[in-house]
Amino acid sequence: MAFTEEELVEFKTDALELLDVAEKSLLALDLGAEFKNHFDAIFRCFHNLKGASGMMELNKLQTHTHNLENKLMELKNDIKISSDHINYFLRGIDLARLLLDGQGVLVEEAAVINSSFSEFINECDEIIDRVSEALQIIESQNYEKEHLNSLYRDIHSLKGAAYLMTFNLIGDLAHTMESSLEGLRELTFLPSKDLLNCLYKCIRLIESEILLLKNNTKNESNEEKFRQLIAELSVAVSGLRPALAPILEPVAEKEKTQVMKKNEDTASVKEQESVNKKSAPPAVEEQMSQIKTGEGDANGSIRVPVSLLDNLMTLMGEMVLVRNQVLQFSSKSEDLEFLNLSKRLNMVTSEIQGEMMKTRMQPIGNVLTKFNRVVRELSIDLKKEINLTLSGADTELDKSLLEAVKDPLTHIVRNSCDHGIESPEIRTQAGKDRMGKITIRSFHEGGQVVIEIKDDGKGLERETLIRKGIEKGLITHSQAAGMSEKEVFNLIFSPGFSTAASVTNVSGRGVGMDVVRTNIEKIGGSVELNSVSGKGTDIKLKIPLTLAIVPALIIRCGGETFAIPQVKLEELVRVEPGASENKIEYLHGAPVYRLRGNILPLVNLNKILGLPEKKDLNSVSNIAILNADQCSFGLIVDAVQDTADIVVKPINRLLKSLQVYSGATILGDGSIALILDVMGISKLAQIGNEAISDELSLNRNKEQKDSEQQDFLIVRLHSPSKHAIVLGYVHRLEEFKASLVEHTGSQRVIRYGKSILHLISVSEQLGYITRSQSVTKDNTISVVVIERSGVLYGFEVEDIVDTFSTDADVDTTLVNQVGIFGNINTDDELIVTIDPFEIINKAFPENILKSGNMPADGEIKSTKKLRPAAATSKFAAKELTASSFNILLAEDTVFFRRAVTKILTKAGYEVSVAVDGKEALGILERNPSKFSLLISDIEMPGLNGFELAEAVRKNPQLEDLPMLALSSRVDDRYTEQGIRSGFNIYMEKLKADELLEAIEQLTLAKRRVG
Amino acid sequence: MSIFTGNSNKAATQLITSFTVGKDLFGIEVMKVQEVTGTQLVVPVPLAPKFVNGLINLRGQLATALGLSELFGYKTEDLSNQMSVVCRMEGNLVSLMVDSIGDVVEANGISFEPPPETIPAAIRIYIKGIYKMNGTLLSVLDLDKLAKELSPSVEAG
Repeated sequence: MAFTEEELVEFKTDALELLDVAEKSLLALDLGAEFKNHFDAIFRCFHNLKGASGMMELNKLQTHTHNLENKLMELKNDIKISSDHINYFLRGIDLARLLLDGQGVLVEEAAVINSSFSEFINECDEIIDRVSEALQIIESQNYEKEHLNSLYRDIHSLKGAAYLMTFNLIGDLAHTMESSLEGLRELTFLPSKDLLNCLYKCIRLIESEILLLKNNTKNESNEEKFRQLIAELSVAVSGLRPALAPILEPVAEKEKTQVMKKNEDTASVKEQESVNKKSAPPAVEEQMSQIKTGEGDANGSIRVPVSLLDNLMTLMGEMVLVRNQVLQFSSKSEDLEFLNLSKRLNMVTSEIQGEMMKTRMQPIGNVLTKFNRVVRELSIDLKKEINLTLSGADTELDKSLLEAVKDPLTHIVRNSCDHGIESPEIRTQAGKDRMGKITIRSFHEGGQVVIEIKDDGKGLERETLIRKGIEKGLITHSQAAGMSEKEVFNLIFSPGFSTAASVTNVSGRGVGMDVVRTNIEKIGGSVELNSVSGKGTDIKLKIPLTLAIVPALIIRCGGETFAIPQVKLEELVRVEPGASENKIEYLHGAPVYRLRGNILPLVNLNKILGLPEKKDLNSVSNIAILNADQCSFGLIVDAVQDTADIVVKPINRLLKSLQVYSGATILGDGSIALILDVMGISKLAQIGNEAISDELSLNRNKEQKDSEQQDFLIVRLHSPSKHAIVLGYVHRLEEFKASLVEHTGSQRVIRYGKSILHLISVSEQLGYITRSQSVTKDNTISVVVIERSGVLYGFEVEDIVDTFSTDADVDTTLVNQVGIFGNINTDDELIVTIDPFEIINKAFPENILKSGNMPADGEIKSTKKLRPAAATSKFAAKELTASSFNILLAEDTVFFRRAVTKILTKAGYEVSVAVDGKEALGILERNPSKFSLLISDIEMPGLNGFELAEAVRKNPQLEDLPMLALSSRVDDRYTEQGIRSGFNIYMEKLKADELLEAIEQLTLAKRRVG
Repeated sequence: MSIFTGNSNKAATQLITSFTVGKDLFGIEVMKVQEVTGTQLVVPVPLAPKFVNGLINLRGQLATALGLSELFGYKTEDLSNQMSVVCRMEGNLVSLMVDSIGDVVEANGISFEPPPETIPAAIRIYIKGIYKMNGTLLSVLDLDKLAKELSPSVEAG
């Protein structure tokens, strides 16, 4: 008999609900709730599910639930259920869910196995064969992803199958194996001999165990072996990385039955008590249990597909619009009856709207209660004691939003368990309660739902975060020093960031918090993180109630109507003309407003949108104070009109990509208003550090993904055009009080830590001002610190504006001024790129010789003689040693190609260039003996640096060619890969002196060999 | 699939809504046009590209008004009498602003030709092909290309 789609869906929803109820009751039992009612509830659930699945001819599910029911039956007379049994049933429920979903190969397999033991055995045999084969391949040092993955998969299915058949020992062992392979699969480490041996042993043991099972003989001593191996495996793994040993699931079947027998003894006594309880009228009891098990599913509810609700919602939106239009029309009408009718329409519509919204609202408890289980299981896994407290579970939230916060929440909770809460030992040492506490609280606040996840764990440490940030290349040392607490915490939201010292199977892979933030922001919410080191972490998710209809403020600007979501609005300020206290002031041309003593940046909406500005300066100004990502700014608008509930209509992507609008709406009079995207506007106006640092991190990410991007620091000089310095040159950014400037001779210097900072006025060097003009008028001077050959130079600029990332190449043609590298042509302006080293040379011509002759340490000292005397100087004469020395440079970015070529030619080397790896290889193969050194970039299209190096090393004519890698990505991993693929030296770009020294070293080595 | 439509193009006739922009005759397959409306109030969107005239309230639904004369680089002096041809592109309503509406014409697949190379590239990329009509040529717009114009692949923010 076939069932319709609808019937199946109906059944599935029903079944899932039953399972939910059963799970809830199980967890309640685990927490020591009253036994009888919950037990009955669970029993009823399994029983009903069995019946229903039987009817739907879902045999697998039926057998499964039947088994569960039987097992439960055995416990019927107990008064307590052991936590082993709870684990067992929870697992059973999970499996039932999987069966319901009917997805996943594992499930299919598992289900089949469930029905026949022999198939399980066969499967295991197959898996064992495959695994041994894979292990052999790996042992021969062939780490192909394919094998690793299939190995991992096999062990994973072995685990699943074993647990399903309640062969927990095999399951545990497989689980340990699986987690030991975790890192191997990602290739984060290579397997050690020990680990491989261990894995072999495991497989052998499983094999023997299965043999025993096949012959139906159970050998006790094997159990001991399993334990031993699990421990051994953990040791082997921890040799590679500190890993959490998996928990040894207790329970050989025998132990279990023993415990049960004991229980039975005591049960007879307790039974009497329960009989006494039963003396209450059975009808009442029945009702009670019904209420208890029924929980949220009130009687008389019907099931409606979500899509229908969605449609109703849209229609509702239209109806609200029509209502608004009618109201507006009626206000002009004199007809009393019509006025009355429209008023009633108004009321009814508002009521419908309210109720309509409720249909989609669901208590957040539906999601939160799931965490009871998550935390429980994690605490067992992690050997921690964690207590989860929920409050505000009845706070309601739009269903779609609820779905959207589920994953981020899970992630945060797992994080808290894993690296928030410490182990009990550490907690006692720190004088805390052994039991860690996680609190999830949800409540309404300002038209938003706030979900707060608080733990009393170890919190976040500023230093650790900063260290990690620097390691991952998210920030530089100089940036770190100036970062506020909040900015530091925000690092945790950067992609690829993880503070966990070790990756565990729970969390720590660093894919988390950035996803949390993007997901929450996607639904218009925000994430706040606070932490006190040693005390705990507190994460707040702020989520809008619903998405469809939002209250908004309607404003007018430049003759157009706009809407600003109320959520973003903090307050409105009206500035009367002529007032002396409250007025708009101008700070360096930027309007600001003093709001209760704080300076608030102002943005003129007209200006941002390019609308005609209001001519009449003497009229009243309206300022809407808005909140963009916790940083406020004032938006100057022409007029504030009204507040209204608006229906957000999507606008097409082209308009959305302008970043200024989040949508549009149709107002009561039928006119259209664009909804302003407050975040976008603040970004456009570059309000606050948040926005800029966001942009910074964005740029940095871009750079990581795409090395074609070039970062510049934009500075203002005494010139109308913007100037840029390649960010790689910049050592630090500083601001000094003008009074700190001292003079040595005519040179202006600043004492800077232990060293001395030589100030160079860039404007002066580039001839924008003369020396006499360069006296600073402000009290502070902005300085870009640049290091060359260990000497610090302070580039005095008028203002440090921003950083900027572009993939546009620097146009170096037609540049004839010393100190200017070239021009970048961006969409809206021309940016002049400064060559800082040339400026240093210009400012300190005598310094070049000095630095060239400066004695260096150790080995390099002896090589100095061979090196052209004034290597970095353009005035230096070329020396024969160098000019007979040909270097091939492979670099795809024009900028670096030119920069490096410049450094090398100045040092007297002959340089040939190749624009990518392929070309370089071609040139080398054609003239294998011409070049004495290959310098290569790593990130190049086509053939990248690593591949190029490997190809060169494979060529017998070129295998001795010294190779030097220049990369903007420098960390241990890349360096190692670079050396592995054949580079002699792997170094960072833009370190001219180090580069020349490295070349020196290489050539010397080569000459010695030669 | 493509072969099939190619054949059917050759064989069958097609109904085309014709309209003019500047002095040229353009057309869109009838089935792709939702409606044709007269002058509408267009609410401008500041900062948007020039060819986006603004937004139109089409009986409670928002349509993006796309000025074909701006897109094609024509100079239209009088914008007040423009008509709009409303189409649905990738789920969004788009109103193509045209100078005047012509007839629905029956075009024979045999007279269909790809656009000649000499048409300015700014226009050619939006044209699927040319129908040779009696005394005039009709360029059929490629709505997919237009849709692409309206949804840049790189979406910022």
